[in-house]
Amino acid sequence: MSSAKTGNILHNHKILVANRGEIAMRIMRACGKLGIPFAAIHTAEDAASGHVLLARAKGGEKSLFRVSSYHDANELMSVADEAACTAVHPGYGFFAEDFRFARRVTKRDRKMIFIGPSWKIIRELGDKINTKRLARSLGVPTVPGSDRPIYDEMEAERIAKTIFEFQEQQGITHPLVLVKASAGGGGMGIEEVYDPDQFRSVYRRVRNYALRQFKDEGVLIEQRIMDFNHLEVQIVSDRTGSNPVHFGTRNCSIQSTGLQKRIEVAPGFTPQALRYSFDAQKVLDDIVAYSLKMARSVGYDNVGTWEWIVTRKGEPFLMEVNTRIQVENGVSARIAKIRGQGGVDLIAEQIRTGLGEPLGYRQDDIDFEGVGIEYRLIAEDPDSNFTPWVGRIERFDWKDAPWLTMLTHVPDKLPYEIPTEFDPNLALAIIHGKDIQEAKARGAAFLDSLSLTGQNDSGASLKSNAAFLKDNTERILLF
Amino acid sequence: MIDISELLDAIKSSPYREIVVAAPHTGRMSFAALETGMCVHGPQGQWKEMPGTTLGTLEREGNPKPICAPENGEICRIHKELDGGFVEAGAPLVVLRHMLTRDEVQRIILQKTLYLFRAPERAKYYFTPETDKKIRATDAHSVTIRDGMELFIMSRMKREVPLHYAGPDGVIYEIYFKYNENLDAGAPLIGVCPRDHLHVIQDMIARVQTEWTET
Amino acid sequence: MHNNIEKRLQNLRERLAYITDIFTGKHKDSVTLLEERLASFAGRALSGACESAYAELSGVEDIFAYVERRLEKTLTPMDRVRVVRHPQRVCLRDILENVYDNFTEVGGQDEHSLDPSMLIARAVITRRRGKKTYMQSVMVIGQEKGHGAEYRNGGSVKPWGNAKALQYMGVAETEGIPIHAYIFTPGSYPIEDYPGAAQQIARNIYNMAGLRVPVVAVISEGGSGGAEAIGLADRRLMLSHGYYSVISPEGAAAIEGRLKNGQRASPELIEHCAANLKIQAEDNLKFGYIDRIIQEPPLGARPWHFDFFRSLRQELIRATDEVVISTRKTPVLRGLALARHRNPENDIDHLYIRWGLSGGAKTRLVQRRQRKLLRLSRQAARDRRPFLTKTATAFWDWISKPWVVFKYDFYRKHQRWITTLMEEINNEIDMFKYRLLSPWRKFSRRLPNRTENKAKELTALSSWKEDSRSRRWDYLSPRYKADRTLTCPNSESYGCLDLWGPDLFAEFAGVCSHCGYHFPMEPEWYVRNVFDTGSTFEFNSEIEAGNPLDFPDFSERISQAKKKTGAKSGCMTFEARIDNIKMVVVMFMGTFRGGSVGAAEGYKFVEAAARAAKKRYPFLAYVHGTAGIRIQEGTHGLIQMPRCTVAVRRYIEAGGLYMVLYDTNSFAGPVASFLGCSPYQFAVRSSNIGFAGPGVIKETTGMDIPPKYHRSYRALSRGHIQGIWDRRQIRANLKQALLTIGGRNLYYR
Repeated sequence: MSSAKTGNILHNHKILVANRGEIAMRIMRACGKLGIPFAAIHTAEDAASGHVLLARAKGGEKSLFRVSSYHDANELMSVADEAACTAVHPGYGFFAEDFRFARRVTKRDRKMIFIGPSWKIIRELGDKINTKRLARSLGVPTVPGSDRPIYDEMEAERIAKTIFEFQEQQGITHPLVLVKASAGGGGMGIEEVYDPDQFRSVYRRVRNYALRQFKDEGVLIEQRIMDFNHLEVQIVSDRTGSNPVHFGTRNCSIQSTGLQKRIEVAPGFTPQALRYSFDAQKVLDDIVAYSLKMARSVGYDNVGTWEWIVTRKGEPFLMEVNTRIQVENGVSARIAKIRGQGGVDLIAEQIRTGLGEPLGYRQDDIDFEGVGIEYRLIAEDPDSNFTPWVGRIERFDWKDAPWLTMLTHVPDKLPYEIPTEFDPNLALAIIHGKDIQEAKARGAAFLDSLSLTGQNDSGASLKSNAAFLKDNTERILLF
Repeated sequence: MIDISELLDAIKSSPYREIVVAAPHTGRMSFAALETGMCVHGPQGQWKEMPGTTLGTLEREGNPKPICAPENGEICRIHKELDGGFVEAGAPLVVLRHMLTRDEVQRIILQKTLYLFRAPERAKYYFTPETDKKIRATDAHSVTIRDGMELFIMSRMKREVPLHYAGPDGVIYEIYFKYNENLDAGAPLIGVCPRDHLHVIQDMIARVQTEWTET
Repeated sequence: MHNNIEKRLQNLRERLAYITDIFTGKHKDSVTLLEERLASFAGRALSGACESAYAELSGVEDIFAYVERRLEKTLTPMDRVRVVRHPQRVCLRDILENVYDNFTEVGGQDEHSLDPSMLIARAVITRRRGKKTYMQSVMVIGQEKGHGAEYRNGGSVKPWGNAKALQYMGVAETEGIPIHAYIFTPGSYPIEDYPGAAQQIARNIYNMAGLRVPVVAVISEGGSGGAEAIGLADRRLMLSHGYYSVISPEGAAAIEGRLKNGQRASPELIEHCAANLKIQAEDNLKFGYIDRIIQEPPLGARPWHFDFFRSLRQELIRATDEVVISTRKTPVLRGLALARHRNPENDIDHLYIRWGLSGGAKTRLVQRRQRKLLRLSRQAARDRRPFLTKTATAFWDWISKPWVVFKYDFYRKHQRWITTLMEEINNEIDMFKYRLLSPWRKFSRRLPNRTENKAKELTALSSWKEDSRSRRWDYLSPRYKADRTLTCPNSESYGCLDLWGPDLFAEFAGVCSHCGYHFPMEPEWYVRNVFDTGSTFEFNSEIEAGNPLDFPDFSERISQAKKKTGAKSGCMTFEARIDNIKMVVVMFMGTFRGGSVGAAEGYKFVEAAARAAKKRYPFLAYVHGTAGIRIQEGTHGLIQMPRCTVAVRRYIEAGGLYMVLYDTNSFAGPVASFLGCSPYQFAVRSSNIGFAGPGVIKETTGMDIPPKYHRSYRALSRGHIQGIWDRRQIRANLKQALLTIGGRNLYYR
């Protein structure tokens, strides 16, 4: 790979950073590293956010545009045209997994590059039933149950019965079956059945709900898996889609209520340091191999994450595929090194390959070293259902260390008013250690050194989840 | 009790309000043939179904949208320097000097007489679905509320929290917030009038109607 | 001065005022002549200078009569409209008092009435044969203009007035007495308050199409929907100075001149429209939409024209008798009786015919009425089918009839019986098998390889042929190609973001993804996306919309519409399937001259209904949009209201399932007749349904109507339609409606 050629490909581009906060800052920094100009957006609410300050510092006032909303694709297109951008980076959230947005970016009259997988892949893997069927067609394990909507009551009952019997044979004492509306999403129209005799009434309830809400009476029937670890495989590929590589696994099992991730650890298991009741290394190898197999078969052409659940018995099941860069990409990058290049910035890799540069290295060139832990610092109250806290941050310090990377959109100059429109994320802290024990110890040390205070108009002082993170540090990577 | 005459006099001494018409979103702006000092009208018709004077056109993604005057008034300033160029969302376009109407004066005075239930935090507010339905079906005046009643949904940080009304029992007389609008903490949400005070309010309205002349 | 002279003078003054009003400034010399003569006589009579006042008065009266006769020949169509609208014109109460021998008002008195513009009375006609007198009762129903009395609302009947009329038609049917309907209306009062203008007229027409008593209608002012609400009759008589029209000349001028709210059409344009709409009695007689003209005195009948009432009475009795006679079974007797009646020499008062009908005669009466209407207006559409095709179609119709009768009336009944028997036998066998094999099942449950099977079943890829979710639209609106965004009309209230055209017009099927507002789509979208792919088969496409009245410039406009849409008329009829359920569909396309209905559209509708009845298919009217009756076709268009309703009624009574689905904007005549009469009407979201648009309502009633007055949700609340469907679910909803309303056999109740 000649550097002149790569320079050419990236040279003529300008990227619209179609996001805010911490991810927007990371994208801008990556652009800076690659020498690509960018345009940034912000809303009136967000004018004091770190990403606005950074954009102003790096690109000047002319690279910054005030829009009415981050959710309005028209605004993004309008700004992209005005700023003569050639590519759009959606970050995560907002339009990251919106295949229509990706399609619009790539199909409009003034075509641009969508930095992410091509829209057809986003659409295909964004559909859970599709993903499940694709996985099964490749022999990738998925949660036992139906892989297509069931419309017939007799068939539904038969499948549910089989799932109950299957669990009994596996020695599960309290077998559970999930009935969900196939057209649903976001936790709507899902019910649990613990008694086979009740199945019929639950099924009818869900079916009628689905018919009313989604005009499609199809339901999915699956085994409900109770006790599992949540693992992810980080995949990166270039536009050829033929040679995907992985950047290891992550374990995201520490979550708040509502299944929001709070602590991520890379790699997913550490069989060298901890004892598991199953062959953890084999599980890691398997899920990586399966994920790559699927990526290869669909011609996956950017970064993405394969999400898995691993049961207490060590069975992996593919849950879904996130066709975007994730919040926690930094923790995987922290433990990886590319031979000859050193540290990895996954966002830079995403931009580089997204714009059409070939990957330039193979799986053998990637080395992993040590353990990374990522904490999400959030203004929320873990004691009352993780309710977000609104107010001003008055103090936000921590003790710097070479093993610590802090990613935050909270500007240096305080106080900072947290915008109310968005997730109350404040910062990501990535900690590195040579093994899990060291990483945990450093994590605890970081949390101890952290001082984060704030006030709001109603006089309540800042709530943060630091204590929750600290308590849970001990739990990570333990089943 | 409030001295209405005093209030009215205060308002009469400066009966204008400045309205800044800002760009609702980004796009290319072209102004209509208007000059400073010209008078424009707001939405008209029995149901305000006819839009106000077109101040200009904002075109974004091949979709030209008219920007109309929100109220009657006189143009104080047109940002003609933006004509034909790209504007950011929220950029001020036209400034109107609007003479307060009888209704607006009434609202100002009502705000001082009614019990105001205020936003506890900066957030978006909605009525609970049942209340919303009632208000849409008839009007706000018919909705009776009690202390401790679950009346609003407060939406912030992508989370929705129910909000309970605290204050005297009565009817909702005025609503001060719009759909999808971010309110600062302390901004009034609704004006509540206890049932036995209704006649006082009616008297007040009658006085404004007679004493305030619209030009 | 003698009292009698004063009276006659007053009469002359009124006649003069009448002439002035009618000619609005024309024929100044005649008017001046009459004025001078009248003034000079009046002056002399007042001062007592007249020697023989009576003789002189007669002279003046003769001059008046002479001038009136002369002016009669110059009457333009618009003058006739003014005649009909003049407060001095005879009105229904005058007729009740002068034509009938006795009457009792039953629909209220004067302003104390549910709707004073609708008058209902039981009236009696006395006839003599020899020494015997016969009393014959009729139900008189008609609009009362009350010589301009304000509370009569000019004969513009509110929906509840039409409902009252329908109620008393029912009473007449129960009592077995004929109905005399008098049409004195400029049009119906176009408001949607219950029972709704369009709905009630549709209900009236539908019921009149099957009324089992003789109905005779007399038209003086036949204004559009209001006329049809009581005008579907066995015999239609028309006063010679009346008009019968699809729209008032002013309304036509407003449409022709493309006038916006509040603008007034010029008198020339109105005159031009009145002349070209062919609204006079002779025109309508020629077209066959009326049966007979009753001659009025020069310049129109007024209450003092007693001769006119006499001839009206004769004609009415004759018409009623003829209707009764024509229901007789024996042709020879029928012919003789009719000939006797048609002979003008015979005094009809002395020929007594019983007006009561036997059961069989009632059926024949209804059949005759329906067939007569179905025959009308065919000549007004251009049937471009080659002669051979037409003959072949007719022949095929004829020979396939026995097969259809065999298939549906004989085979189906037996088939049901056999199926039931077979089902029962199968049940018994299944039960027996189950018992026999139960020991084996118990044993096999314990076999080990079942676990593997289970795991395999739960984790392996299942076969799934029909992925209904991935069904993409077969047809995309061509608008999807433009890279632009559109604003949802609801964005103000719902905060919808602008929609990207290529998403909106392709994947979203024209539906706002946030609030669900439906942007209008092309008719092709429905044809291709609602029905099974490739299942549509169009028929009668050669029947073309034409210009039967030779309305100026209209032929070009019709050919432009044909070129633009590629269709030959605003109506497309086809057979189609939804999941293999066959049906006949008639589609009114809003893209072809606003989806207006004229003779060709009506022809195709009637043919489609007949086809559905013959093939025993469900019949769906999909109204992509209709602006009403095509006014440039005049009464050729208007007659489609009763005509198509008759076709619908015949189809429904044969056991068919008729459904209507409205989209975009559906207004006026069609909604007030053959669409509105369906018991199953649905609407696509964001559609508008009503009788008259906001402009017309403002024009006729002076009321401002709130925005969204005609929205489908309002129509649903008013009880006009039965449900509202999302466009993307039309196919599913239609299938469900067919299966639930039509049942398993879809056609037969």
